[in-house]
Amino acid sequence: MDEKIKEEASKDNYRQEPKVGVYICHCGGNISDVVDVKKVAEELSKYPGVTVAREYPFMCSSNGQDLITEDIKNLGINRTVVAACSPSLHDLTFRGVLQRAGVNPYLHEHVNIREQDSWVHKLDHAGATAKAIKLAQAGVEKVRRKDPLNAIRVAAEQRVAVIGGGVSGMRAALSAAGKGLEAVILEKGPRLGGKLLDLGRLYPSGEEASAVVKKLEDLVRADKKITVHTDADIDFVGGFVGNFKINFKLPGGKSQQVKAGAIVMATGYEHYKPYKGEFGYGEAANVLTLPEFISLMKKLPAGRLEYGGREIKSLALIHCVGSRQVEGVHKPQADGKINDYCSRVCCTAAINTANQIKEKYPGVRIYDVYRDIRTYGMMHESYYEQASKNGVLFFRHTETDQPVVTSDRTGHNVKVKDVLTWGEELEFKADLVVLVTGLVPSDISLIKSQMKMPSSADRFLQEVHLKLRPVELANAGIFIAGAAQYPMDSTEAMASAGTAASKAGILLAEPDIPLEPFVAVVDEKKCTGCGLCPAECSYDGALTMSEKNGKKVAVVNPALCKGCGACVAVCEPRAIDVAGWTLAQFDAMVEAIAKE
Amino acid sequence: MPPNKKKILIITTNHSSYPGADAVGQARLAYEANTYIIRVPDPVMFPEDFYLGAFDKGIGGIIIMSSGSDCPYEGAYERLSKRVARVYEKMKARGIKADRLKLTTICTVCRAAFLKEISEMEKAVAAA
Ligand SMILES: Cc1cc2nc3c(=O)[nH]c(=O)nc-3n(C[C@H](O)[C@H](O)[C@H](O)COP(=O)(O)OP(=O)(O)OC[C@H]3O[C@@H](n4cnc5c(N)ncnc54)[C@H](O)[C@@H]3O)c2cc1C
Repeated sequence: MDEKIKEEASKDNYRQEPKVGVYICHCGGNISDVVDVKKVAEELSKYPGVTVAREYPFMCSSNGQDLITEDIKNLGINRTVVAACSPSLHDLTFRGVLQRAGVNPYLHEHVNIREQDSWVHKLDHAGATAKAIKLAQAGVEKVRRKDPLNAIRVAAEQRVAVIGGGVSGMRAALSAAGKGLEAVILEKGPRLGGKLLDLGRLYPSGEEASAVVKKLEDLVRADKKITVHTDADIDFVGGFVGNFKINFKLPGGKSQQVKAGAIVMATGYEHYKPYKGEFGYGEAANVLTLPEFISLMKKLPAGRLEYGGREIKSLALIHCVGSRQVEGVHKPQADGKINDYCSRVCCTAAINTANQIKEKYPGVRIYDVYRDIRTYGMMHESYYEQASKNGVLFFRHTETDQPVVTSDRTGHNVKVKDVLTWGEELEFKADLVVLVTGLVPSDISLIKSQMKMPSSADRFLQEVHLKLRPVELANAGIFIAGAAQYPMDSTEAMASAGTAASKAGILLAEPDIPLEPFVAVVDEKKCTGCGLCPAECSYDGALTMSEKNGKKVAVVNPALCKGCGACVAVCEPRAIDVAGWTLAQFDAMVEAIAKE
Repeated sequence: MPPNKKKILIITTNHSSYPGADAVGQARLAYEANTYIIRVPDPVMFPEDFYLGAFDKGIGGIIIMSSGSDCPYEGAYERLSKRVARVYEKMKARGIKADRLKLTTICTVCRAAFLKEISEMEKAVAAA
């Protein structure tokens, strides 16, 4: 092991013969109305290796937990099976009971007889009971073969590297610094602020984007715990939780390195770039994207809306350009995929802009061509209502009947098969066409491939679980802030940045951090040194061949191993296993399940 | 459940299909009780003989519910599908019908797909 990595001190209560306690939960009546819990407990009490089997109305209550503690004390129970709800809810609860009672917490097995039994077999009480018995028996087989495990502890740099200096990155750095951590912002552009640098008056606050950026930037620059590098060209990201290394070049080619315990990915998004000829973009004059139009409007005085030296008296907004694309209707992106996701912020952004045009240039006619208006968010529907009151005319088309723009020197002709008038073909003239373009992820392919970061089907960075582990990447110690995860407005982006920084703060609260020990382990006595397993491993440095005591063996770096088990399957002598999830356990479970 | 109905082993992933199976329960949807769900970090860990061994032990059918493109582990799905292809070859050699093993992808909210896979496997197991 690396000198920075050590095992937590272990509790030596496992060398004793396994004595399993089995606890069947009624979950009020959620389980016991369907499953005959008495029968399950009775059957389990006769099962080899089981010292005691009980049933109880609520195992998760403090009385239920005390039952286990008492059995540990009085009967010498040293392994437990709790058959109850899903482990996602209470696995950790019962691990905690064991730990407090002086038993290694990993000698617990949680069996699901609610979500995957009583709730789905309501009409088959006998079948559900038979299944509960088998599942609990398989749990006993598994827990009997479990080894005590100890969280791996890794010494950590007390520093957060924030990649991207938009509002999310700045917010994340400020939150991290507020928790006493050092933060380093690495921004590839020349300025902090990201996409807000080009935006105008923002919804929902009505503040100017430049003012929002300035406020954040002033705070960042004043904070001694935050270092900012702009024009930073990142060329390497490596290492693992607690010990990441990021190399970057500054203008002039000077190389620098940041070491960090955690990384926040705040790399944001790019505007969808319409292809040449998409609704006339890049071919006809007077076709712009919404961000281009917003930049333009910022510079123009009130009174006369002008573009290319000509007054604009009418304007068409076309929604969903580059978003919610349909297979067979839209041209695929460079990677062959279509952007079938909704870019979320563009509806409100477009309508907010329409209202601002009406305010600044009341005479301009605005036609809004949309598929669905999705002004999600608190009170955002009021922008739509306001636009209707302001006289913006709305046209709605279906996903397959796209609007058609034809252009000549006099302007544009827009044709829409309008759902609002029961499919009538409507046509109008517009001096300017504004394409409400979607959001696509920033190109961070180098960092993503070096760190093997997962992305969703939409190519944005993907969190592990929406509810259970939000803003966490599967890579331990890396968190996502803002629009790098999916299209979101700046309020949402800053909220997610706060979450990311909090998670980094929790992770780095102690000088060394505990990791779940579910990583590959090698039985050096069984390892023949064949060398097949490293080739199966996708994580650089996680599994290598090394000389140990004069013998070539496979060696795992537990801080880099993700515990997928790809190596396990190719090891003929079964010398390698994922701790806590061994093949021997699974063979025994299947045996127990299959037995008549 | 008739007493001697063949059992179906369902291999799920901690990240994706196990929560998917929970979602089916949370929605109180129903399927048959001869189904036994086990969970793993990733089914890529099972060697070919694990599946063959399960059939030998008397398991009627096996559904591997992987995380597919949501898989948090690099390259694991590709390795798994290659391995399953080899298991099919070995099953053929032993005269085990191919439809008794199925590799599929189930997400955390794929309730309909989960039920469909089970009902198809029920048919395959009943016919075997
Ligand atoms: C037309 C339009 C109008 C909008 N209007 C509003 C509005 O009115 N109100 C509102 O709240 N939101 C609005 N939004 C959304 C708003 O733009 C985003 O919520 C916000 O920009 C997200 O901030 P971010 O920091 O997550 O990403 P970004 O603003 O994209 O910032 C990301 C930063 O990361 C940097 N970066 C990227 N890759 C790297 C790398 N490899 N290395 C280093 N740095 C990197 C980028 O240079 C950039 O500075 C609008 C969006 C659009 C498209």
